[in-house]
Amino acid sequence: MECSFGITGKDYVLLASDMSAGRSILQFKSDENKIKELGPHLAMAYGGEPGDTNNFADYIERNMRLYHIRHHHALLPHAASSWIRRSLADSIRSRRPYSVNLLLAGFDTTDDTPHLYWIDYLGTKAVVPYAAHGMGMHVSLSTMDKYWHPNQDRRDGVDVLKKAIAEAQHRLSIKFTFNAIIIDKDGIHTVDLAAEDPIGKIEAEKAAKAEAEAAAAAAAAAPPAAAPEASAPVAAAA
Amino acid sequence: MSIQEYNGGSVVAMVGKDCVAIACDLRLGNQATGIAMNFEKVFPVNDTLYYGLPGLATDVYTLREQLRFRVNMYRMKEEREITPETFTHLLSSTLYEKRFGPYFLEPVIAGIAPPTAANPNPQPYVSTLDSIGCITTPKDFAVAGTATDKLYGAAEGLWEPDLEPEDLFETISQTLLNAVDRDALSGWGAIVHVITKDKVITRTLRSRMD
Amino acid sequence: MARRYDSRTTIFSPEGRLFQVEYAMEAISHAGTVLAVLSKEGIAIAAEKKVTGKLLDLSLTTVGGEGSEAWMAGGGEKIFLLNNNILTGLAGITSDANSLVNFARNSAQRHLYSYDEDIPVEMLVQRLCDMKQGYTQYGGLRPFGVSLIYVGWDPLHGFQLYQSDPSGNYSGWKATCIGANHSSAASLLKQDYKDDITLEEAKSLCLKTMSKTMDSTKLSSEKLEFATMTLHADTKQPLAKIYRPAELDELLQQLELGGTKEETVGVGEGTGGGGSGGNIAVST
Repeated sequence: MECSFGITGKDYVLLASDMSAGRSILQFKSDENKIKELGPHLAMAYGGEPGDTNNFADYIERNMRLYHIRHHHALLPHAASSWIRRSLADSIRSRRPYSVNLLLAGFDTTDDTPHLYWIDYLGTKAVVPYAAHGMGMHVSLSTMDKYWHPNQDRRDGVDVLKKAIAEAQHRLSIKFTFNAIIIDKDGIHTVDLAAEDPIGKIEAEKAAKAEAEAAAAAAAAAPPAAAPEASAPVAAAA
Repeated sequence: MSIQEYNGGSVVAMVGKDCVAIACDLRLGNQATGIAMNFEKVFPVNDTLYYGLPGLATDVYTLREQLRFRVNMYRMKEEREITPETFTHLLSSTLYEKRFGPYFLEPVIAGIAPPTAANPNPQPYVSTLDSIGCITTPKDFAVAGTATDKLYGAAEGLWEPDLEPEDLFETISQTLLNAVDRDALSGWGAIVHVITKDKVITRTLRSRMD
Repeated sequence: MARRYDSRTTIFSPEGRLFQVEYAMEAISHAGTVLAVLSKEGIAIAAEKKVTGKLLDLSLTTVGGEGSEAWMAGGGEKIFLLNNNILTGLAGITSDANSLVNFARNSAQRHLYSYDEDIPVEMLVQRLCDMKQGYTQYGGLRPFGVSLIYVGWDPLHGFQLYQSDPSGNYSGWKATCIGANHSSAASLLKQDYKDDITLEEAKSLCLKTMSKTMDSTKLSSEKLEFATMTLHADTKQPLAKIYRPAELDELLQQLELGGTKEETVGVGEGTGGGGSGGNIAVST
């Protein structure tokens, strides 16, 4: 029993996944993070056969990291989607296929566009504005059909996500807890769905971080006058 | 339900007078659930040759990428564009490589070769293959996908010989729309390419979205 | 002394040199000049052809074309399209160059197959240089006698210009030159290059430097290949253009660098720059 959602907007993409882990009707865990960060502007929500999921997600994560190290830049979302799809397409025709479905979300920093890909265990890929996997596909796609519209802002996106989650809670007999992220030009941020204004909270965090960085930069530019002897040789060596 | 019908989708191609047309629907489904309405199944090889891959969506991507690789290398090594006939055989042998674990696709090819010294007056060409690469080259039209039987009915009724490009566009569009409207697994928009000797006309069709 | 360490590519001499690699580079400095200039709007690349004689049958070759035609414009001997977004100019042994071009094209297509995007320029340069380096280390083989200039575009770093040599070293440039007289051409480029150059100025600088580097007074499409890498005005996608002979002659005439048939040098006697040694038969 799984459920994940992805929603794009004007300059961001949202990704949400339930946090349950279990077998058939039993739930063993309700705080399992099933969203993995794959790069500075790339993440995926994954589900499927337990065991396969974590192994496959680790495999993808490490290959994305390897590419980043080798080539000094991360794969763009489209290229990453193509590589991940090929991994699953090769897998399905292998002796022991991975049984993993995923939603891949990314932000392309070269042209400032959000991207969302629906990928299943066969290697099927759909490029979509909003998507769902698991039970969400059956109960919440129509909710997103109704409320999603192009170029919506972040708060509207979170509203659509909340409506989709509410529909899943309403229609399904299992109770889910969800975690969510948002990816924009600044990178990946956790969305606190319980907060009154999740986007406002992220904006505040961003502002605080920028302030701290500016303060640190100012401190680095003007070293304290108390220790001129210590800083002088470093500057000379540089 | 067979694996070929898992994602849904249909393709049709027709011969006209010094022109050919090829069209597909835009649905990508997960059995009865619709996932995307932008899934094109017809791809260009060059300005005079297109092919469609209805069937299992994972194989649509895989085979398309494989063919793009091979056609690009052909183009650079031969220093000319591949002809429809040659491309058909390239596709056939690519499919037969997987004889005992086939791609679940039924490709359709449509094109007109540019005139050469050896072949000054090339004819419009439509061809279709089964999932392991057996070629059939009809003189009128080729259909494939989950709406195959409906497409046959509509095409048999509407197609006539020597249609001009605009008439061929109307014929193939009506054939496709009327067939996919009667198929639960195809539809959600359509796209048509009419290939003439000097240009390709591509039009997106609006259709029933249910 | 040196002779003892000549025969193997993989053995250092006591002075710490790899003679075969150095000889390969020497062979290239006799080859036809290749020269490229980078600008913000695009890159121009020119290459000197060694004319082989009037009996050479070129009737079936097609030289030049833009966009998709450039894929099929391999009739030239010096400038090739490696991928949609990358052109190369080669100096050195033609047969080695052909093999490298084939390898590069395969690499680019493999990247396209895996990632559904054009290969980034530096990645393709690295692929080729990894292979070239291998031939300086593993026994029984000689290194590739080829230097390359790569001009290309990718979404991450825009227009880029690289060159690589037989040792497998590569470096990025604003303007560079390989082959005969490369050092004098490089100093000319250094004098005249400006950072805010336009594409038209880059084309002009490229050809003007070429005309000063080559021995002959007037340039023409018989002795020169020329190409540009730009962005398509509408799609903003990379657009490779290998000039057809007539287009190149027209450009040369505009720049008053020639473009007409030259009467003084008979066909087949074109000396080119630095091609005085015995390397003409095997180098381009």
